[in-house]
Amino acid sequence: MAVLVAGAVWLRRIAHNRSVPEEDRDWSVPPLADTAGGSLFHLWDVRCKIITILIYSFIIASLKHLTPALAAIGISLLILMTAKVSFSKVILRLLAITGFISMFLVVMPFSAPVHNGDTVLIFKGMEWLGFNLRGLRLAATIAAKAIAIALLMEPLLSTAPLPVTLHGLSRLGVPEMIGQMVLLSNRYLHVFRHEARRMSSGMRVRGFRKRTNLITLRAVGNFIGMLFVRSFERTERVFDAMRARGYRGRFPEPAERRLRTRDLILAAGWLAIGVALIIYDRIA
Amino acid sequence: MHISDGVLPISVAVGGYVASAVLVAWSARRTRSEELPKLAVMTAAFFIASLVHVPFGPTSVHLLIPGLTGALLGSSAFLSIGLGLLLQSLLFQFGGITALGANALMMGLPALACGWFFQRYKGRTQLRQVIIGGLAGALGTALAAIILAALLVTGGEDFFGIAKIVLLAHLPVIIIEGVVSAFTIGFLARVKPALLQPAFTRSL
Repeated sequence: MAVLVAGAVWLRRIAHNRSVPEEDRDWSVPPLADTAGGSLFHLWDVRCKIITILIYSFIIASLKHLTPALAAIGISLLILMTAKVSFSKVILRLLAITGFISMFLVVMPFSAPVHNGDTVLIFKGMEWLGFNLRGLRLAATIAAKAIAIALLMEPLLSTAPLPVTLHGLSRLGVPEMIGQMVLLSNRYLHVFRHEARRMSSGMRVRGFRKRTNLITLRAVGNFIGMLFVRSFERTERVFDAMRARGYRGRFPEPAERRLRTRDLILAAGWLAIGVALIIYDRIA
Repeated sequence: MHISDGVLPISVAVGGYVASAVLVAWSARRTRSEELPKLAVMTAAFFIASLVHVPFGPTSVHLLIPGLTGALLGSSAFLSIGLGLLLQSLLFQFGGITALGANALMMGLPALACGWFFQRYKGRTQLRQVIIGGLAGALGTALAAIILAALLVTGGEDFFGIAKIVLLAHLPVIIIEGVVSAFTIGFLARVKPALLQPAFTRSL
């Protein structure tokens, strides 16, 4: 437990250190991708990549035992190394799920009902609070599966520019409009975050401090209202500007890539690993 | 709070994907097609609003805003929420890729319910809009918590304890969310009442 807490503190510090220099970055959209890399993943056909990782993620999610789930983490780590993605972004993704996962790790050993054959640790003086090892094992399995899948997100998403990934999605039958909407939201997300930051520094300059009281809630309510009003007015301007530049419901397509045999071989090989994992899981 | 990967039974995760795909398609059909780019931009605003933290005693809670999204977007809300969650998955990986469908149901269904509730009962006076808006905000979070607990319970009796804790943890959020939503709706009623009509939906 102490190790876990220390780990969490360390991760938080890394995230904090990372977020500081980002503070003064402005309008540009942070790129989701390191397109410079030339690993196997950067060259892999994007449709194959999406399908394979999605199916593989579902396979991982259906594992039931701890050992195969831990093996899955190992495989994910190997994949991370081959994909040559930025390690700090992987850490941030893991950090995002720590809250939810640690809730399971903390609560489940105490809340899981006791069955025959379970090992329950009971502390002297706290007999009502049994520490069920089966619950801990279950929570650890969940955590391991979540981590194994979260580790795969960087190889999936950052080894191609976002428009290419989304184009791959639309080639797989997802309506093209969805991809366009993701691109637009992603673009304006950063604009609005900048706007929200500007508004809240304005509030701070005028002496507003967040506390647990009604005044704070009122200020937050008005803040959100103002954000909506400004954003809504901006949507009109954005749309006019898009139409003025000839938008007819389509964006220009990113360059096409042909499906090659090695793309398929890579997909088949990876899925075979998944199937092997699930067989191991069911017979273990 | 979003469900991460590996928590839900695989049948529930797949079922969530199917159900939310159907609802996204329905929501997209109910939205005028030329308004979709605007909806995308507005989604970004809701996304930012959901990152706002409110202090609560020694800790802080962040708003979920399914209620406000529903009240402002009506039946387009499900599409907007699905999009927002997809984006969140892409950018931050709160809410895992296999649980995306379930998470969309958890936020989207309350938004649809609140949108209907708000449009049905908002009336004409500002005071009434504020009260109904606040109720919609609280209702949205309450429903989201209930759906989250129900989804967790599908994992079997080992998950009952955690589902109870999740429900309890949402109680303060429900109150805060209700109050903030009431103020936001009041602000919009004064500043830009047009926003309280679902702007992007097809009229029937």
